[in-house]
Amino acid sequence: MHAVEIEQVTKTFGSHTAVDDLSLTVPAGSIYGFIGPNGSGKTTTLRMIMRILHPDRGTIRILGESTLGAATDRVGYLPEERGLYKQMKVRDVLRFYAELKGVRRGRAAIDDWLARFDLAEWANKKVEALSKGMAQKVQFIATVIHRPELVLLDEPFSGLDPVNSEVLCEAVLELRSQGATVIFSTHDMAMAEKLCDFIFMIYQGRKVLDGTLQSIRDTYGSDTLRVRLEGNGAALNGLPGVLKVADFGQWKELRLQRDADAQAVLAALLPRGRVTHFELSQPSLHDIFVRIARPLTLPSSPEGERVGWGGARP
Amino acid sequence: MRKVLVIAVRDYLATVRTKGFIISLALMPILMSGGYLAQILLGGEIDVRERHFAVVDRSPGGELAELLRKESDERNRTGPVDPQTGKPQPPFTIEVVPPGADGSTEGRKRQRFQLSERVRNQELYGFMEILPEVFDVPKSPPADPAEAAARLAQEEAPLRYQSNHPLDDLFPKWADKLVNEGVQRRRLDRADITARTVATVKGILTPVRFDSKDLARKDPKTGDIVDSPEENRMLSIMAPFGLLVLMFMIVMVGATPLMQGVVEEKMLRIAEVLLGSVRPFQLMLGKLLGTVGVSLTLVAVYLGGAYLLAQKYGYAEHLPLAVVSWFLAYQVLSVILYGSLFIAIGAACTDMKEAQSLMWPVMVLAVLPMMVGFVVIKEPNSSFATWASFFPPATPMLMMARQAVPPGIAIWQPVLGIVLMLLATLVCVYAAGRIFRVGILMQGKGAKVGEIVRWVIRG
Repeated sequence: MHAVEIEQVTKTFGSHTAVDDLSLTVPAGSIYGFIGPNGSGKTTTLRMIMRILHPDRGTIRILGESTLGAATDRVGYLPEERGLYKQMKVRDVLRFYAELKGVRRGRAAIDDWLARFDLAEWANKKVEALSKGMAQKVQFIATVIHRPELVLLDEPFSGLDPVNSEVLCEAVLELRSQGATVIFSTHDMAMAEKLCDFIFMIYQGRKVLDGTLQSIRDTYGSDTLRVRLEGNGAALNGLPGVLKVADFGQWKELRLQRDADAQAVLAALLPRGRVTHFELSQPSLHDIFVRIARPLTLPSSPEGERVGWGGARP
Repeated sequence: MRKVLVIAVRDYLATVRTKGFIISLALMPILMSGGYLAQILLGGEIDVRERHFAVVDRSPGGELAELLRKESDERNRTGPVDPQTGKPQPPFTIEVVPPGADGSTEGRKRQRFQLSERVRNQELYGFMEILPEVFDVPKSPPADPAEAAARLAQEEAPLRYQSNHPLDDLFPKWADKLVNEGVQRRRLDRADITARTVATVKGILTPVRFDSKDLARKDPKTGDIVDSPEENRMLSIMAPFGLLVLMFMIVMVGATPLMQGVVEEKMLRIAEVLLGSVRPFQLMLGKLLGTVGVSLTLVAVYLGGAYLLAQKYGYAEHLPLAVVSWFLAYQVLSVILYGSLFIAIGAACTDMKEAQSLMWPVMVLAVLPMMVGFVVIKEPNSSFATWASFFPPATPMLMMARQAVPPGIAIWQPVLGIVLMLLATLVCVYAAGRIFRVGILMQGKGAKVGEIVRWVIRG
């Protein structure tokens, strides 16, 4: 059973193609991460899954249903920007959203969720009194209060501090353990790496990555060196087989050409200073994201860049 | 349908629970009648500072100017008050200005200009001029009114007053009366008519007293046939006018917040969450239902109150149950009709400012029936009143007013009016639904009129 099946969907706004011939299958019970630069089509895709927007071409099936609105009560949607009535009390707004989804006696569930998110004392305050993070949590409760089978979260972690991110993370994992399918979009690559069973990346309306984190990384091979040298500021230019050097302050990340020899790089590094850390690894999701989304700023190596395009799926 | 109700209830409570609503519920009647009350209370209040006037008397002897001066001195001595209300009035001081040596038309004009300059310099409040012909008995006017008007236009009036206070008639009225009395005395003297004859003629010429009354009725207690009380005549005008104003008010108070609500839902991205649960048309229907609820609350308070008062104090015939029922039908339809227009405007705009500038055509639609309301109530069966009341946006106000004027109108008219309104309302809701569906998710910029029309036609 698939929670979402998208087949060759295209959506245009005027002359702009927001989503271009997209196909995607989300297995039930999984956590699926949507990544991609701003304006690449993530929100449009989520809105089409929610049937708020309708594709120009192609079909979308949700929880086995393709008819309009039949599955809405089984789906929960957290939009990118907060959608709460400012003048309403927190409890009233949650009850309203619960009733809209057909939950008749939701008071106990609302109180449970408020307590869990440390919001119990805000239950009778107006929404306008909440901080951004608190409103975000209230919005999340509104999304899941009716125990949906499919949960769509558009950037759920934006604006949350690490503690609240952690709480939300746990809630998402718990939803999955109860059998729900979770799709969320994010710019937080570390969070995506940590949470997602599958990663899907969309760039300029087209699918560029889709698969498990491991399968995606495998495509790129072990082409990344993490290096720390004693004495900061040592120049790392002119190393053999190194395409690009990224300085992260504490360490430097070196990207190797396909056939480069890591040992040769180490040999070239030793005369430049004391090497305290040397690690050959696969690229991080962050790195993969940047390689795809910012190909033009990299040094010239057209072959290397094509790895990330289109055929990345193993 | 359950979801539509959930939205309707929320919208209803969101409007009714606000302090603004409760305050306006209480204040509206006060504000509406406030203007009238203020006029009654403050109507007699005038500026009582001394006013300075010039009088040029060109009549032989110049006795009229002297008469005015003497009378004004007398008036100032006793303390000038309004004889009807007893409120104080400003004292008048009169400066008798001798006519210029040049009595020709040009000479008179020059003197008038000089005096006008003095009024402009605020030395004078105004000035009066009495021409030499003032004592002449006018020839009886020609029978043909056009000829009479032509003659009047040619001749100069023997008594004229000039000032830059066009609305203030306190002095001219006072002076006019005195001058006329003086002139009459002189004319009677000249014609050698005795005081006794004058009294007889005056008695003969007194107009017959005339009274306009409401229909006769039987007193419910004694069974005697009596005249209706005088205020009934006023009430038969007040009831239709009140209903017209109430209908307008309910459309404004009830339907305009819809536009605000839709803009808020758009700006706060609430629409997106809602559309994750309901279809756009359900959302719009829910909002319209909520507004109908709000308007019914207003009606229950105002019309219900008026109805009970009318029953209690014996004016029930001016507010029959049939009229109240028609009012309810019109009011529900008009709130939906105007409400759907306001929703469409809200959906097509991205902020309140934009929405307000787009709403004026709808406001004009609502205000026009108010403006012609008085004409329609006065002549409810004129062809203008009849046709205007079949124009759906005006039907609730004008047809209602016509029905409330005794003896009412033929029943087919309100029935046809309701049918036409129903059709117009369906068209509006349909068009608004299509605008709403596209507009509610649009962000960034408002829609152009051309785009809105395209949404309606092509969806």
